Amino acid sequence: MFNPRDIIEILAANVRQTKSPFGIPKFMANTWHKDLCLPKEGEYLLFTGLMYQFAPYIEKSTQYLEKYEDTKIAGYLKYTRLLPGYFSGIGLAMMTKPKEKKKAAKPLKDIAYLLQKSKVNFGYRPDLDNYSGILLYDMGDQQGFIAHAKKVARQLQDAGIKKIITIDPHTAYAFKELYPKYTGFGFDVKQYFELLNFEPKDCGLEVTLHDPCFFGRYQKLSDVPREQLSNMGISVTNIRNQGEFTSCCGGPAESISPRLSNEIMEKRAKELQASGKPIVAYCPICLGNLKKSGADVQDLSTLLAKHA
Amino acid sequence: MSLVTLDFAEELKEYCGDNAFECFNCGTCAAICPLVHDNFPRRMIRYIQVGARQKILENSDELWRCLHCGLCTQTCPREADPGEIILGLKRFVVANWRKS
Repeated sequence: MFNPRDIIEILAANVRQTKSPFGIPKFMANTWHKDLCLPKEGEYLLFTGLMYQFAPYIEKSTQYLEKYEDTKIAGYLKYTRLLPGYFSGIGLAMMTKPKEKKKAAKPLKDIAYLLQKSKVNFGYRPDLDNYSGILLYDMGDQQGFIAHAKKVARQLQDAGIKKIITIDPHTAYAFKELYPKYTGFGFDVKQYFELLNFEPKDCGLEVTLHDPCFFGRYQKLSDVPREQLSNMGISVTNIRNQGEFTSCCGGPAESISPRLSNEIMEKRAKELQASGKPIVAYCPICLGNLKKSGADVQDLSTLLAKHA
Repeated sequence: MSLVTLDFAEELKEYCGDNAFECFNCGTCAAICPLVHDNFPRRMIRYIQVGARQKILENSDELWRCLHCGLCTQTCPREADPGEIILGLKRFVVANWRKS
């Protein structure tokens, strides 16, 4: 286990300096939209919160953390917060393979495609799309979270944004529950899969769905993806721990203890693999973490886009 | 020897309210927690109830093992919201680090 204080202070300094917990400049991380010509205006603003974009960098940094957990070198980690945020962020971005970055863009492109196909009136403004700060909240840095969230919310408010579409459970939770409470700014928040509308199909497939804690339990939204899949003729295997009683993928512990994260992930992967059906996740953290176990797992958006 | 801080509950209100006093120590949270680790989070909640402020600070690293998955909150028969209590303790510890 790493010293939590070292990790929190690094993440907090990065968010303060660069608006990203990993220090990666937005122009390097948020490139998925460049070849799509998405409209800028619409009834809703697509707000990705950059979580899917960060996934390959999280994976890369976790590989290093895994190497040094509980070694003497771990004690030197605290000094990295003395480096300018962008310095370590650009380094991390350079070490991450372009192939991995391209893979991370796929769910984002699929989501934009699904929304367009469902005739949802939305726009995308990369200048307004920022990280929500949720990791600081989860780590207990309340002060850092509120300061960052106020900046993000004010920018949206100043641009006249009232309705947003989120695509991951953590950003959705931040905007639904935390932003109104801590920033004073409230938005009408919809998750992308709540807005999809397709002709019924009969794909004749069966999958195992991994519900993320923040959708299954915190927001009680796990029925909606099941309805979307059912509409396409894709049935979902019943497993013991699902919906409101879903099990954690272990992802949230990966910065503090990759070893603990792996233990939890292995347990969950076994549960999901028991049915022998392909696994579907709908959170970038769960997706990345379950993939590490070697499981056959894909994002919900990828499956829906393939059959829509 | 451990010292007890009599007004600890009052100090904690700012960080996690006073839900810890709803808890009757049934242990459901510790049983359902995926960490399966040394009576977590029940032990931390007990520390709050008895005012063991120093014990929490001494064992604070444990708080960050919590995945914030919410299973303890979902199953707590007293609706004490153990998940939020642990998150509140993280806030309390971070604030203490920064004060010191």
